[in-house]
Amino acid sequence: MTVPPDPSPAPLEIHDLTVSYHKKPVLWGVDLAVPRGQLVGIVGPNGAGKSTLIKACMGLLPLNSGWVKVFGRPLRDVATRVGYVPQRESVDWDFPVNVMDVVLMGRYGRLGLLRRPSAADRAAAKACLEKVGMLPFANRQIANLSGGQQQRVFLARALAQEADLYFMDEPFAGVDAATESAIIAVLRELRSQGRTLLVVHHDLPTARSYFDMLLLLNMNVVAFGPTAQVFTAELLQKTYGGRLTVLSEVAHAVGAQERGAP
Amino acid sequence: METLVPAFDFHRIFVAPWTTEFPTFGWIVLMGFLVGAACGLVGNYLLLRRLALMGDAVSHSVLPGLVVAFLLSNSRGTGAMFLGALAAGVLATLIIEVIHTKTRVKQDAAIGIAFSSLFAVGVLLTALYTSQVDLDAECVLYGEISFVPLEPMVEVAGLTLGPASLVRMALVLLGVVALVVMFYKELLVSAFDAGLARSLGVNPTAMHFGLMAVLSIVVVSAFEAVGAILVIAMLILPGATASLLTKKLPWVHAGAVVHAALSAVLGLHLGVWLECSLAPAMVVAGAGVFALAWVFGPEEGLIARWRRQRGGGPEPVRAP
Amino acid sequence: MPTATTFRAQGGRRGGMAAALVAGLLFPGVLHAARVSDVAGADWLDQAARFLSFRDLSVRYAVCGAVLLGVCCGVLGGFVVVRKMALMGDTLSHAVLPGVALGFLWNLSKDPVAIFVGATLAGLLGTGMVRAITHTTRLKEDAALGLVLASFFAAGACLVTMIQRLPTGSKSGVDKFLFGQAAAINSGDVWLMLAVTVLVLGLVGLFYKELLIVSFDGGFARASGLPVAWIDRGLMLLLAFSVVIALQAVGAVLVSAMLITPAAAAYLLTDRLHRLLWLAAAFGVAAGVTGAFFSFLGHNLPTGPLMVIGASTVFAGAFFLGPRHGVLARWWRRRDRAARTRRENTLKSLYRIGEEADFAAEGATLTELARLRKETLEDAQRLATDLVRHGLATQSDDLVYFTPAGRQRAAEIVRNHRLWELYLTNSANIAADHVHEDAEKIEHVLGEEVVRDLERRLNHAAVDPHGRRIPTAGEIHRAAGLSGESGRK
Repeated sequence: MTVPPDPSPAPLEIHDLTVSYHKKPVLWGVDLAVPRGQLVGIVGPNGAGKSTLIKACMGLLPLNSGWVKVFGRPLRDVATRVGYVPQRESVDWDFPVNVMDVVLMGRYGRLGLLRRPSAADRAAAKACLEKVGMLPFANRQIANLSGGQQQRVFLARALAQEADLYFMDEPFAGVDAATESAIIAVLRELRSQGRTLLVVHHDLPTARSYFDMLLLLNMNVVAFGPTAQVFTAELLQKTYGGRLTVLSEVAHAVGAQERGAP
Repeated sequence: METLVPAFDFHRIFVAPWTTEFPTFGWIVLMGFLVGAACGLVGNYLLLRRLALMGDAVSHSVLPGLVVAFLLSNSRGTGAMFLGALAAGVLATLIIEVIHTKTRVKQDAAIGIAFSSLFAVGVLLTALYTSQVDLDAECVLYGEISFVPLEPMVEVAGLTLGPASLVRMALVLLGVVALVVMFYKELLVSAFDAGLARSLGVNPTAMHFGLMAVLSIVVVSAFEAVGAILVIAMLILPGATASLLTKKLPWVHAGAVVHAALSAVLGLHLGVWLECSLAPAMVVAGAGVFALAWVFGPEEGLIARWRRQRGGGPEPVRAP
Repeated sequence: MPTATTFRAQGGRRGGMAAALVAGLLFPGVLHAARVSDVAGADWLDQAARFLSFRDLSVRYAVCGAVLLGVCCGVLGGFVVVRKMALMGDTLSHAVLPGVALGFLWNLSKDPVAIFVGATLAGLLGTGMVRAITHTTRLKEDAALGLVLASFFAAGACLVTMIQRLPTGSKSGVDKFLFGQAAAINSGDVWLMLAVTVLVLGLVGLFYKELLIVSFDGGFARASGLPVAWIDRGLMLLLAFSVVIALQAVGAVLVSAMLITPAAAAYLLTDRLHRLLWLAAAFGVAAGVTGAFFSFLGHNLPTGPLMVIGASTVFAGAFFLGPRHGVLARWWRRRDRAARTRRENTLKSLYRIGEEADFAAEGATLTELARLRKETLEDAQRLATDLVRHGLATQSDDLVYFTPAGRQRAAEIVRNHRLWELYLTNSANIAADHVHEDAEKIEHVLGEEVVRDLERRLNHAAVDPHGRRIPTAGEIHRAAGLSGESGRK
């Protein structure tokens, strides 16, 4: 894929990315350049490496090869321009914090070390809570929220990051219909402000209507482009169908060899 | 004037224990081996089930059971001690279960709270009744394996079998081996996949409690020799070492028994050389064997890994 | 000659261990011998008075030490508990023992700084080993923790027994590091503890925000560009520091409990991390001081177990008596709910009796109530009395009348029940004869808001699946007013 001759660098550019988990390759040779202001859905079967791709982009996993550039620079330099919504199960919801505390965490990256959140940060956090309809719950302990409410809190925290590029890992998983439409409204608003969003999604029917662009992923990029062009029976068959079982078998063999199994 | 590290006298360290001093050290090294082997076999299943720290909890909580049983029955009868220790073990599991199901405190903290409380009670009772209870603070921690030869010998039909606690430990080891052989498949399946086990007609809950009961019995029998803390090493080290070298469970069992023998013999020499307590010396020797396997293991050792990495290993296959 | 005789001789000490323990306690060091010996009174009441008067220097040191270690362990323990690192704390605390012994060997005396450095290094080495083993082998974390814990402890035990063999070693007090002895704390120890406590509080205060986010969601923290690895390492270092300063008083074997138990107790009582840390510090201080106090009373008792029992008592208190999550509070709430449900069921029966008579009769007899609730007359009387006590009904002879509040609540319950039945049969396609049981439970918990929503969804239907009328909101208000008048007659 060629990068268009744009003066401002692409929000996300991935070159020849390979990531392994326990020595077994999960992503192979991923090349990708995401243009600005797009709402991108990442779809693919279970184990296709959707979350791995996001985590690798965020620098949460070691890369075997390749590189990731965010706004033309290594992620470390531009961490404050990147927002993140992890999977809901990734944290302990019994943790002794309330909703406001969690949303304020979205400001920490910007604040840097040693500085405390100011009144302005609190006001910003409140505005974000308002946007996802969770302001009335600001002082509630996070264990006492429904799954959909917890997801909204995570979204509010990402909003508080005021980032230009967002990675979201299954924000629609296990939420009620009202939350789902609230979330998609917020995502569209972010997109219309010129921000770029990459969203892992596992429901094909809604993927078609939600996203501007789709990334069909199954260990490598099957297709990436505007939803209308990519959402075709042939490409979906390629993503979810049998062709790639060969790939995963080879990956397993490589993993076994690396681990030194007989 | 004695020094910290005594001179290295080959005869004293390596010859005497097997010749002139053999009547004493023979029993000690045999006891070390029996404890290591029995603990190692049981410990393999703890490792498989990721319950290694359950051994920690049970071994600590056994103490108040022993002390209370002793104070109540006023004897060192094996039956009372076993009962007391078993009761304490069950109590510990119960407390852990109650804390982590009824509150949001997680299991790790629940284990920590349960065993430290019970152990504290045990130590306190020991300190209060030191003159009555035949235990002391250090014995509680690392045992008195050098007392084994001083115990009254058990004689059956005129045949001298050995010191009482050693005979008991030998019987426990035989029992453990018998159980492992008899329930080999069931133990393996229930450790590997509780759902599959259930569908095959194995009750995983019964297996779990059976394992815990055997664990308590092994820990109690080993308690006098190696105390509450070293027994954790005895449970984990043999299996951990063996599993660095092989993946097949029968070989892991065999490796655990070999590890037990190695650590008993090497520990004896180490302890004789340094003139320190023998049980901790055996554990240190066992840890040394583990470290060797970790570094030099032919497949997964640190050196083998480093070589593979430096050699580049097989290139990741390009996606088609 | 280290023959079996030597071992026998070592063992022969066992009988005298009690005496040694007492002696060690009374003479924690040559320097303090005079001072401590006049502490050892005979009567425990005198001892208590003496402790509380703070007359003795060693008591002051012990209390200072207990307070400082309680604060330190409590605050850091808060992070240990919420990050599920309890077993790491346990391993850390056992792994310091060889370091203590080596620190002691540095110049063969109880030099606080040498021991501090040695123990910290050993503890960090132990936790580093755990990480190395889990990263480079297939062994799981629990196995790595257990084997490092026991192996390091064994190495420590070897060294301790070697030190005790030395002529200077037997009265060194190095064995006090196993179970702790607060009375052995001296001014050097206190200064060291103070320095560490100030450091811990200062750093936790400065980096509270970072510690919070790293503990709650490490992935997000890393994604935000925070130096997560350094924060983790710093926390581990502080943990090692606080374990080491607590060693003298609590002992290596039980010091992990001072990290875990006070913080776990605090975790049961609050929903915010900063309050948890303060509470944990307070509980740590309470446990520490009571431990020091009781060990002073019975003057051959090791301090560590007493402090741990103190902390466990606090935990048990929080577990049973906690206002929100406590067992007692929950039991009380459950009982309360059960009683309310029972009352509401009685009200419903009274309503049904009235309904059967088209609300012509003005009350229900106990006999009718007993029949409908399938109870004996005595039980029906008990139910009626309960209603009267809560102002929901009045009774004259064997007739029971609604009060306005009672009638309103009864109509609400009946409405909830029938609405829910209707909803289940209409919207969830459940057969009409299957819905009653479910509605029996739901009727007591439906809130006004949900009821409005149900009514709207069901187009304000008037009749339930069994053909009975559903009371409307207006009706409930009116009925309440009417029955109020009838109730007064």
